[in-house]
Amino acid sequence: MISRQIVSYLLVFCFLVALPAQNATAHGGVVEEDDLCVIKVNYLRAHFKIYQPGVTGHEQYCEDLPVASESIFVMEYQHDSLSTMPIGFRIIRDVTGKGRFARIEDVEEIEDLEEATVYYQPPVVEPHIYLANYTFLEEGDFIGIVSAEHPETGKIYAAVFPFEVGFTGLGYWPFIIGLLLLIQFQYLLLSGRLKRWFGKAPVVATCLIVCALFVTPTAFADNPVVTYTTPDGAPEINRMHNWILHIENEDGLEIENAIVDVEGGMPEHNHGLPTKPRVTEELGAGDYRLEGMRFHMSGYWEIVVTITTDSGTSKVTIPLQL
Amino acid sequence: MRSGPFKHAIVAAVIALVVAACGQIFSSPPEWTEAETGVLRSLWLDSLPDLPEDRSNAVADNPKAAEFGRKLFFDARLSANGGISCATCHQAERRFTDGLQKGQAIGATARHTPSIVGTAYSPWQFWDGRRDSQWAQALAPLEDPNEHATDRAQVVALVAEDADYRASYESLFGRLPDLPIPDPLALNSAFANIGKSIAAFERTIMPTASRFDEYVEAVVLDDSNRQAALFSDDEIWGLRLFIGEANCIQCHNGPLLTNHEFHNTGVISFPGDVPDKARIAGVAEVMESEFNCRSSFSDDSDRHCPELEFARTGIDLIGAFKTPSLRNLENTEPFMHKGQLATIAEVLDHYNQAPDSMIGHNEAKPLGLSDRELGQLEAFLATLAAAPSLYFDNI
Repeated sequence: MISRQIVSYLLVFCFLVALPAQNATAHGGVVEEDDLCVIKVNYLRAHFKIYQPGVTGHEQYCEDLPVASESIFVMEYQHDSLSTMPIGFRIIRDVTGKGRFARIEDVEEIEDLEEATVYYQPPVVEPHIYLANYTFLEEGDFIGIVSAEHPETGKIYAAVFPFEVGFTGLGYWPFIIGLLLLIQFQYLLLSGRLKRWFGKAPVVATCLIVCALFVTPTAFADNPVVTYTTPDGAPEINRMHNWILHIENEDGLEIENAIVDVEGGMPEHNHGLPTKPRVTEELGAGDYRLEGMRFHMSGYWEIVVTITTDSGTSKVTIPLQL
Repeated sequence: MRSGPFKHAIVAAVIALVVAACGQIFSSPPEWTEAETGVLRSLWLDSLPDLPEDRSNAVADNPKAAEFGRKLFFDARLSANGGISCATCHQAERRFTDGLQKGQAIGATARHTPSIVGTAYSPWQFWDGRRDSQWAQALAPLEDPNEHATDRAQVVALVAEDADYRASYESLFGRLPDLPIPDPLALNSAFANIGKSIAAFERTIMPTASRFDEYVEAVVLDDSNRQAALFSDDEIWGLRLFIGEANCIQCHNGPLLTNHEFHNTGVISFPGDVPDKARIAGVAEVMESEFNCRSSFSDDSDRHCPELEFARTGIDLIGAFKTPSLRNLENTEPFMHKGQLATIAEVLDHYNQAPDSMIGHNEAKPLGLSDRELGQLEAFLATLAAAPSLYFDNI
């Protein structure tokens, strides 16, 4: 049957496409999510990565490191509260004997933690991002321990991640085993045995997933119209200037007493405005003074105006080519 | 290989391809369009607007203050060991840089010594913009333990005890209090005035017209003979890449070839250092700086500080450094915020690859330029060579 063939070939295709993402295995407090490495310190999460810039440049590792050399540990917070918490970082030799199955309980049982410690950075408040630099002197099994102290309760949260330095990887064995399993699955699917066992569930599930991809979010209810003038002359790069925003609803009635927020950026370059402009005054008749505008590049910009009134919130995007 | 009609066809096709490729590579660049001429004009030194006034510094444009500041700039007594002046790292013959990866004064500094040329146009000073005026900037290295390693009391004492300095100071700012100055406000005010004098000197350090500027003039005047005499084809192709495909002009724009803003371009960390947080830390510091635009040491009674008021914060600024000017790069190697890249060729290769940033995200995208194109860009950049001038010398 064609549908069964399509499903089975799709599965093989997906497996092959997903292969490069499987280079790093994750364990302990570090997990891989959406191709990103994430460390979970209790409920607090941070994007986690390690570099060996002197050896492999910009190549990033989730945990296991290829050689003993200078290693940069990076945690980019996904919870703002980590910016206010004292964070400590310790690396110990793995004396638990548990290898990559070591857990926080195993670390707590270590009698002389200091003796096993090869690197320790005492707790310190580091806004936005946490960085540590340690040069491994030898290869082997290690355990990283990250602690974060809650500023109000004083409770200390910890994450433990075992890792290997001098990691050679598992080669292609997981891939080969996976492929063999998939071929077996494909045989079952094509031979019709799977259908006899489970009915049409796999085909239906695939259709549902594909359908879900086509569901788009609904639009905003209001449709305000925003125009602007620039009393200090036309916008040009590298000069701070002001705008007057004029806001009407779709029937041409001026919108007053609105809370107006402005963001902006260059979608093609994935960055925002160089300044944080703000509506500083409502001038009446639907006019609002916007101060602190500046563009620092020529090209395509989008200014997103968020208008909040009693009847709800709407966003209007103003395109601008400089 | 089997002979036959196929063989002849293949040979003919290869020859045709080679001829076409050579034609492409060795062809003369086309004329500049009106739009392109407009872009070139925007990079022309003649388009540089008047120096913006520094309302926070009442003596910014006072020649006497600039002369006083010039003496201070070169005076090694302004240091703990009597051997370090501003000019130790900011060497005029190297466009006010020092040729080292990181500055070397009393100790090793945290970053590469940035140039001073044209920085009076920038709303932000230092690689991370942690000061918002030249005078506030000038004060920081004096008290940095790795730079001058002195302190404000010693700096003010030096000025008070040197008859020439005292006379200069008092003619500009009024009577200097007797030493020691117990009132911290009076001490800080005198220290700020010394910074304002150094800034008055630094404001005179400006770029001069380069061969590139002569070329733009020839383009604007539509003088094709002069254009051909000034620029080789490679330099013209390099300029075309600079304002086009290579995207350099996204950040290196305006007559100073900088937008004075902060960008993460994924430069690798310096050996032994963690990656530099850069602007996200710098913007937090400038907001709290005791000598910022909002401080009582500003000479602007309105405390009109739009740069601080509308300064952007947030995680987009992780690892973002201020765009440096590209004017006169000769003899200013190495490059980047910690001197990580030794040559212009390495810098161009870095932007061609645009690797993922170790922290934050790299705003640049891989360019896919050929070695020949990178060479043309390098040839163009060399046309920006021109020693900076001290306008003050001409007063």
